[in-house]
Amino acid sequence: MAAAGHDVQIDHVSHRFADYVAVDDVSLTIDGGGLVALLGPSGCGKSTLLRIIAGFIAQSSGRILFDGAPVDHLPANRRGVGIVFQNYALFPHMTVRDNVAYGLRAQKWERDDIGPRVEEMLRRVHMAQFADRFPKQLSGGQQQRVALARCLATDPKVLLLDEPFAALDKNLRFDMQVEVKRLQHEYGITTIMVTHDQEEALAMADRIAVMSRGRLEQVASPTEIYDRPATLFVNQFVGSTNLLRGELLAQDSNGALVRLDDGTALRAADSKGLMPGAKVVVAVRPEGLVLSDNAVEGARPGRIKTVMPLGPQVAYDIETEDGAALKAVVARSGASGLREADSIVHVAPVSPAACNIFAIE
Amino acid sequence: MPDPVRVRDWNAASLTIAFGIATVLAAIVLIAPSIVILITSFTDSASLKFPPSGYSLRWYRALADADQMQTAALNSLIVAIWTTALSVVLGTGAAVAVSRSRGWKARLLDGLFMSPLLLPALAFGFAALIFIYRIGLRPNLPLLVLGHVIVCVPFVIRTTLAALAQLDPALADASLSLGATHAETFRRITLPLIGRGIGAGGFLAFMASFDNVPVSLFLADERTEVLPIHLWQQIETNLDVRTAAASGVIIVATLILMALAERFAGLTSQMR
Repeated sequence: MAAAGHDVQIDHVSHRFADYVAVDDVSLTIDGGGLVALLGPSGCGKSTLLRIIAGFIAQSSGRILFDGAPVDHLPANRRGVGIVFQNYALFPHMTVRDNVAYGLRAQKWERDDIGPRVEEMLRRVHMAQFADRFPKQLSGGQQQRVALARCLATDPKVLLLDEPFAALDKNLRFDMQVEVKRLQHEYGITTIMVTHDQEEALAMADRIAVMSRGRLEQVASPTEIYDRPATLFVNQFVGSTNLLRGELLAQDSNGALVRLDDGTALRAADSKGLMPGAKVVVAVRPEGLVLSDNAVEGARPGRIKTVMPLGPQVAYDIETEDGAALKAVVARSGASGLREADSIVHVAPVSPAACNIFAIE
Repeated sequence: MPDPVRVRDWNAASLTIAFGIATVLAAIVLIAPSIVILITSFTDSASLKFPPSGYSLRWYRALADADQMQTAALNSLIVAIWTTALSVVLGTGAAVAVSRSRGWKARLLDGLFMSPLLLPALAFGFAALIFIYRIGLRPNLPLLVLGHVIVCVPFVIRTTLAALAQLDPALADASLSLGATHAETFRRITLPLIGRGIGAGGFLAFMASFDNVPVSLFLADERTEVLPIHLWQQIETNLDVRTAAASGVIIVATLILMALAERFAGLTSQMR
């Protein structure tokens, strides 16, 4: 079944509403069959970009290309883009069957082909037994399955998912994420997902495009985005982080040496081309910190304020001597118990690679 | 310690009682005249005295021979049907246009379309009559219908706008993205989902046209005399008891229509 998906190219697209720039010179290429997440806070322009790709709004400048051919002249109903809306947008006055058949009828499929196609799609999303129900008689997850079937029935070139899991509760969300990934893989359809939920993006996407204020901050694989964020914004938006201010002392082939404001020296793997003397902020993820009982080189002492056992991990809220708060997450090994609140620990980065340097603007 | 479940709140209770009394009074004022006229219509005497000294159906039988009254009723029916049809078509179009546009233009248009509800219809009727004479026409049935449409179309616009506001814009987007044209989307998605709103507006427009006096007063000629004006004249000139019987027919017909509208269009829920 898996056909080669269609390439999508977003070529220097900008969009202005009156005097407000919603999308600012975004270029992004998505290979056929890929699943890209547009990730960003609300108002970052990701929804506008989705509506531009769908053909609901015409961009102020730039081009959208499918397989290298511009589609900007095609209205939404001839662009071949399927969308699953955040609230699913099932037609409330039609049965599940009629909802799925809607696109086929609109695209003038042969009458004899519509019935079997609808049955096939409903089987694929495990909704065949609900064909004669109305949308309001279905749960959120079931509605989403129908929305997917309706959308995929007409073989769209591109699948757009608008905050697809936001309306689902947590357990169902995971099931539907698995389901959507399975369908996306089965159909090999190029998919663009808009979300403000970093976990969703990390779980679903081959590549993540982080957006902020209309611009692309970084486009990379989920692990790359998490481990090597290109900007401070990406670092703070995706995952949790500790920010330590300091000054770049030196850089060499081993990386960079930073002196933090409290005097501790710290090594980072990459100086990102910054010059010695630059004011920097070093970002370390909570799991990038190790706690030890004894003072080791590069460690700073602190007092544990809060202990949060999260099952396989423990999160500690630690206050250093100069009053800074650090979050640390450590795996629970069988031998070591929890550290107690109010005990003193020494905190250090697990390795230079766990430290990301950003210039302070 | 006071019982936490049932706190006696005289303040809230007195408010409830005050509202209750006001509601009952309003209901009496609204319903009583209709009941009085209904009872009076069954009188066996030739006067409109209430309560009647005896009861009969003689005035209802007399309606069968009331040619002028029947003609007037037929005129009213024809005008109301045409008015409703035109109001539904024009009102739906106007509501869709207003709901799609944003900003001051939409608000201006909305206000303009609503103005016949606020302006005194008497002033509009008079102005329309002068206007018609100025452009060299005389009152006739199509002009009467047109006049009614102007004062009745706001009902359709109001209820249709309310229905459109309830409509999820993503539904139309979904339809388009599935390959349907704008016309198909309107016919198969928008129209079925706002149909009840349009129906409720149509019902209100029909009723407003059927008992409209101020516009008909100016725009009806002797051949297009409508029922409310004919009834008024009968009362004024000879206290005709048949008017009571005609009122009885109208009241019962209205109740049946309202029940049907409620059953099929959810009338009251569309007007909220």
